[in-house]
Amino acid sequence: MVLHVMLGELVSLNMSNGVGEGGRSQSRESHGKRELFQGNDFAYVLARMAVAQICENVEVNVSQKGVRFSAFQESALDTLTGVAVQYIQSIGKSAQFYANVAGRVEGNSLDIVQALTDLGSGSGVSDVECCLGDSGIVKDVIRYTGEAEEVPFVYALPRFPINKEKRGAPSFSEVGAEPPYEHIPVWLPAFPETNVGTIEGNGPSLPSIQHSFNGGGLEVLKSPKSARNSTQGEEEMEGNPFLAAPLRFVENEVSPVVRLLELSNEVVGISHVSDKHTSNNNSHIPVLEASTPCDDINNKNKLSESEDGKKKGGARPQQTLLCFKIGTLKRPSCLAIKGSVQGRRWFQEGEVKREKKSETEENGERFDLANLGPDVVI
Amino acid sequence: MNHGQQSGEAKHEDDPALTEFLASLMDYTPTIPDDLVEHYLAKSGFQCPDVRLIRLVAVATQKFVADVASDALQHCKARPAPVVKDKKQQKDKRLILTMEDLSKALREYGVNVKHPEYFADSPSTGIDPATREE
Repeated sequence: MVLHVMLGELVSLNMSNGVGEGGRSQSRESHGKRELFQGNDFAYVLARMAVAQICENVEVNVSQKGVRFSAFQESALDTLTGVAVQYIQSIGKSAQFYANVAGRVEGNSLDIVQALTDLGSGSGVSDVECCLGDSGIVKDVIRYTGEAEEVPFVYALPRFPINKEKRGAPSFSEVGAEPPYEHIPVWLPAFPETNVGTIEGNGPSLPSIQHSFNGGGLEVLKSPKSARNSTQGEEEMEGNPFLAAPLRFVENEVSPVVRLLELSNEVVGISHVSDKHTSNNNSHIPVLEASTPCDDINNKNKLSESEDGKKKGGARPQQTLLCFKIGTLKRPSCLAIKGSVQGRRWFQEGEVKREKKSETEENGERFDLANLGPDVVI
Repeated sequence: MNHGQQSGEAKHEDDPALTEFLASLMDYTPTIPDDLVEHYLAKSGFQCPDVRLIRLVAVATQKFVADVASDALQHCKARPAPVVKDKKQQKDKRLILTMEDLSKALREYGVNVKHPEYFADSPSTGIDPATREE
């Protein structure tokens, strides 16, 4: 793109032009950092060069011998550029404010003078009754233009920001096609082409895809791919997951709903808990079944690898080793987790004996429950 | 007060200074290009079709930057020169715009710039080298 080429040239020229030796060594390493946080790079680089030019010509007369800056520290130059940019922006903001207060949309020279006075730039005291044209800042500026040497900007600039002319979608009459329905007038933009058959191929031309909004679901599928193919220079598109092609509209295999009877039988067989507990969980088990258990349990059950995390088709018989129970158990749920010694102290002594009894029952199966992790409520 | 009575008329009479200046601005080319100034002014909401106003802002900014730079230069010159062994080198002092001088100069304009002394990229940065454990 022309803008990027110009930016590259300007930056390289900038490095060799006004910046002294001290800044040059820092320039390469900080160049990357600077690009990160400066929003409008082109304008910022220009401002930096302009500020450097101004600083170059600043002269302090000491005993009839002009003393000038010979070099800049890079961070100092950046700071001064930032300050200058903020200065311009605050002038604009205040001037617009004064214009709006006076009921105008466009700014005035007096608005600018007022804004400059607000910023405290003028050396004179601003008087209410005094005419604005007489204010200190105007005199200062006039004096400055008379004294300072006129240094035009180094490079010839194109008109920026560059506005790309957005080409609208061609209308029916321009394309030469007839609108498919009677109610659609000829001067409206034409419908995008829909090619159902060719999904993989390039199909219609790139501009028509780019300029057409989502006329059909398949267009969304095609445009990131074709855009990716065409702009190979843009590396970020390839790695960007948000711009990846969406999933196809295909029927995915989802595991069928496991019947509760099967599951409850397995539950009784494993955990040795009385039946009345399982009956409480009828409504909960399917919900938990749908949420996949954590990976170590899957590995332990020696399930075959499921690619991309999609749900596998068919039942998973090996998964019945798990028993999630959220229910009204008489004993507190935190005690079921092995090793929670602190939990025991929270309860009265009368319950402790009962808990110990029930714990011994489940000791055989303790290893399953313990490996579930602390965040599983049992 | 004459001043008060004349204030309504004085605004029209003393304006020629400003209008003349604006007219003369077309001959003077400020260092900061017009497009750049117009871009930043538009960014903050100020729109004006008149080029002379843009140049007025450009000249005012140029004056501001020049004032800051000259103050920094004076700070730089005012700093005592480092001890040099060769007498020939003493007079050729290369003046560099440093963050220290710039922050001192900007402070007078109400801009507080605090530059960190060192970049802490390791735990031992900034520690006195004598006590640094290696």
